[in-house]
Amino acid sequence: MLHEFFQNPFLVMALLAGCAAAIASGIVGSYVVVKRIVFISGSIAHSVLGGMGLFLYLQRTFDLPYLRPIYGALLTAILAAFLIGWIHLNYKQREDTVIAALWASGMAIGVIFISLTPGTNVELMQYLFGNILWTSSRDFLTLLCLDAVILVTVSLLHTKLLAICFDEKQAFLQKVPVKPLTFLLLSLIALTTVLLIQVIGAILVIALLSLPAAMAGSFTKRLSHMMALAVLLSIIFTLFGLFLSYGLNWPPGATISLTTTLAYLLHLPLKRIIAR
Amino acid sequence: MKRPLYKLENLSFAYDQHPVLKEATAEIFDGEFIGIIGPNGGGKTTLLNLLMGFLHPTAGSITLKDHPPGVGRDEIGFVPQALRFDTQFPITLEEVVTMGALKNQRLFHGPSRKDRQEARAMIDKLGLTPLKDRPFGTLSGGQMQRTLVARALIGHPKILLLDEPTASIDFESQATLFSQLRELKGSLTILMVTHQIQPILKDVDRLLCVQTTLSSLAPEKVCEHYAMGVYHAP
Repeated sequence: MLHEFFQNPFLVMALLAGCAAAIASGIVGSYVVVKRIVFISGSIAHSVLGGMGLFLYLQRTFDLPYLRPIYGALLTAILAAFLIGWIHLNYKQREDTVIAALWASGMAIGVIFISLTPGTNVELMQYLFGNILWTSSRDFLTLLCLDAVILVTVSLLHTKLLAICFDEKQAFLQKVPVKPLTFLLLSLIALTTVLLIQVIGAILVIALLSLPAAMAGSFTKRLSHMMALAVLLSIIFTLFGLFLSYGLNWPPGATISLTTTLAYLLHLPLKRIIAR
Repeated sequence: MKRPLYKLENLSFAYDQHPVLKEATAEIFDGEFIGIIGPNGGGKTTLLNLLMGFLHPTAGSITLKDHPPGVGRDEIGFVPQALRFDTQFPITLEEVVTMGALKNQRLFHGPSRKDRQEARAMIDKLGLTPLKDRPFGTLSGGQMQRTLVARALIGHPKILLLDEPTASIDFESQATLFSQLRELKGSLTILMVTHQIQPILKDVDRLLCVQTTLSSLAPEKVCEHYAMGVYHAP
């Protein structure tokens, strides 16, 4: 079966795309987990449906082929990141409610535009639940470029991002630009979300963004080590999920998500044993 | 006439419609050691947040060397309560202490060799060297508090603010902390929010009682009721 797997160009491209997405999710997911903003990331991931639905509607209704739904996702993700960042910094008391409202309204807008869009919506189902097997060489190149952006940003700003994740007040006293860096971090999350939509879909993004990093955090004592282990775990879960979906003829996005969730549940008792 | 370091004039602060401080007026001078006391919800932590520039007054003014506190905030060392940190956060004791030197680093740079050396020297001075590679979250309350003191001090602050540093730490760690503060007295301005007045009464120059407004008290005027958490006019 393995020989067949590697003979299939779609599957080989899917493997490469999975590895590229794992780099981004492992690194950015570690910030998401340690800063405890999984809910914020979930909101960004789900609100992109609004942008995807709008762009799909405009593309089909007005025959504008360049308005690809993924661009709508990127635009909405960045907008949502800035809106949430502003709320996080200025209205902490009502943060949860507003984030939940953004989560629900993004999806509601998406569903309305989908219902207004003429023709079938197979493409949208791929964005919602992912289809890594449809990754083109152009998509793979985009994934690599986004990985490069994330790697360069994080390697240049790691100390400052670590500071705002651990203690925003201390960072502020030390004249670290807390607000711009918070917006930057949320933008990186938005970029990674859009990147992962290709692999696992908007609805399931949160699993790959948070669970490998949470597992890595149980076995490491530095954020940089946590990121490295989270990347490795993301690659393992993506590849294992892909093999499993091929063998069982299951949808790849859902299989990768389920593999990651099961591994997370299995790691919990192991974490307790190590803690003793 | 000596110019005050901090000047608070008719300072008021409210969260939404709930007033916390009302027309508070006080002056704090260079080199003073002040204990900040008051009932829970009286506005002690809010006052510290105003002194650091995290919050802005809703009325009145607060200045640090004639400027809003945010301008000179890098002269402040802050020791928060150890309990408020996430114990799962993957960060070592040494990394936490090195964060006290962030103001020396340019945006795209990490800590320099000098910053690391200073951090190690401070860790050594506070007797934390054997623990320097331990995750911060696995330290005891007293060890965490000493780490936070080390972080505050490696930036060579002119003002040291402490927010209930003795909350939830053992008696021995409290004694160590008070002895460190005694050593520092006079070399920088110290403001410490505390519920434990008795151990510091002999060391502080005065006390500020925060109870919606501010009143300055001489240590000898503080009666045993304060130690029991009952705050009233002397």
